[in-house]
Amino acid sequence: MRRRMTGSDYACQYRAVDSPVHRLSAGWKMLISAALSIWILVVREPQPLLLATAACFLYYFFARLTLADLWRDIRFFLFQFIILLSLYLYKLGYPEGVWPGVRTSIQIVLFFIPGIVFLRTTQVSSMMKGLRGFVPYRILFLLFTSLRFVPFFAREMQEIFMAQKLRGARLSPQDIRRPVFWRDIFSCIIIPLLVRALKTADEAALSAEARGMGAHPRRTYYDVQELEKILASKEKTIQPTGK
Amino acid sequence: MKNDVKFLWNRFSMREALLLGFCATFIVLTKATLRMKLGISGHSMFFMTFFLLLARGIVPKTGAATLVGLLAGAISIALGLAHKGPIIMLNFVFPALVIDSAGIFLPRFASCFLPCLIIGSMAAATKGVAEGIVLFFTGASIDIILLRALIEGAWAAFFGMLGSLPVPAIIRKLRTNRLIPAPGNGKGRASSAE
Repeated sequence: MRRRMTGSDYACQYRAVDSPVHRLSAGWKMLISAALSIWILVVREPQPLLLATAACFLYYFFARLTLADLWRDIRFFLFQFIILLSLYLYKLGYPEGVWPGVRTSIQIVLFFIPGIVFLRTTQVSSMMKGLRGFVPYRILFLLFTSLRFVPFFAREMQEIFMAQKLRGARLSPQDIRRPVFWRDIFSCIIIPLLVRALKTADEAALSAEARGMGAHPRRTYYDVQELEKILASKEKTIQPTGK
Repeated sequence: MKNDVKFLWNRFSMREALLLGFCATFIVLTKATLRMKLGISGHSMFFMTFFLLLARGIVPKTGAATLVGLLAGAISIALGLAHKGPIIMLNFVFPALVIDSAGIFLPRFASCFLPCLIIGSMAAATKGVAEGIVLFFTGASIDIILLRALIEGAWAAFFGMLGSLPVPAIIRKLRTNRLIPAPGNGKGRASSAE
């Protein structure tokens, strides 16, 4: 069967496939990524660099990521590659500037690949679970809440945009290109969005404080299964043992 | 609602912390939806500088911009918008640190045009520093690092300046309508719930 090269929608998007790298815990992946990145930074000679390149790509494709994914992840660095090579050629001339320029550019790309593999193989929930061990719960609460409100504010932005367009604000793609109409973006979109954010922050803070968030040094979690276990054990103690 | 109950870092109330979280959300949203394929380095600093300065103006306390930077970086990583991997945190944290440091010496800078412009461009120019750090560890020569950092920083500073232009007017508008407190004013605004 011919293997179809499927890609992702954007760079560093999580890929839901099964691979040995996916099955590793977030902590182990971070360790491997850090070790690979450090190794890539310290090599200078062609043979060790080739070895490091092979290790990086092995790690990448071991996660069952495709060539299309790789292209999507590293194409951003092409522009940087051109600039760096140009700078080295300008400074050292041709052909002395070629190897240092190519080596530095390759090192930069390879340096980011382990981190990209981490993002592509680790779900947000695993990342957060791993963070729970050492990040204070208040920061995690803020992070989760901010993440949770991303679709909410995306929707709000869309609604405000449509409502303002109906009221005659100059927000079409052609108008946005003209600086004279940029004022409409800020007064018709940004300010209403900020007012909405202020109101939402009030309501969310009130809601969280009513549930006791932040009242104690450690937080508790509502766990249905745990509650059922406690209730079941209490029922056993209450029920008379009739034989 | 008590605004003086500290929730985070013995400094921010829950409302302020959530507001800063939402500013981080806006940075990520604008980054995701307005991916300008200009091919010009530094254009992402436009909205980043705008919302970082806005956050500092809305919550005029030291650490506000840093918190927004940290959260925005973490959200970008969580949503897979970090095309450079976890190291993209530097791009969010460095500008935020500059803004907070400036706020220590000039608490009211967010409502003044010229200081806002200067601080915004300085904060955005730190993008060059982040690039320089990566190049340094790859063993590039110092003049290449400086050149590259200068090019990146210059473009980023330009877009940072553009992004900081509307901030003073917006902050003044919000303060006039008593939606946000002035710096040094211990009393929070009247809550919308009251």
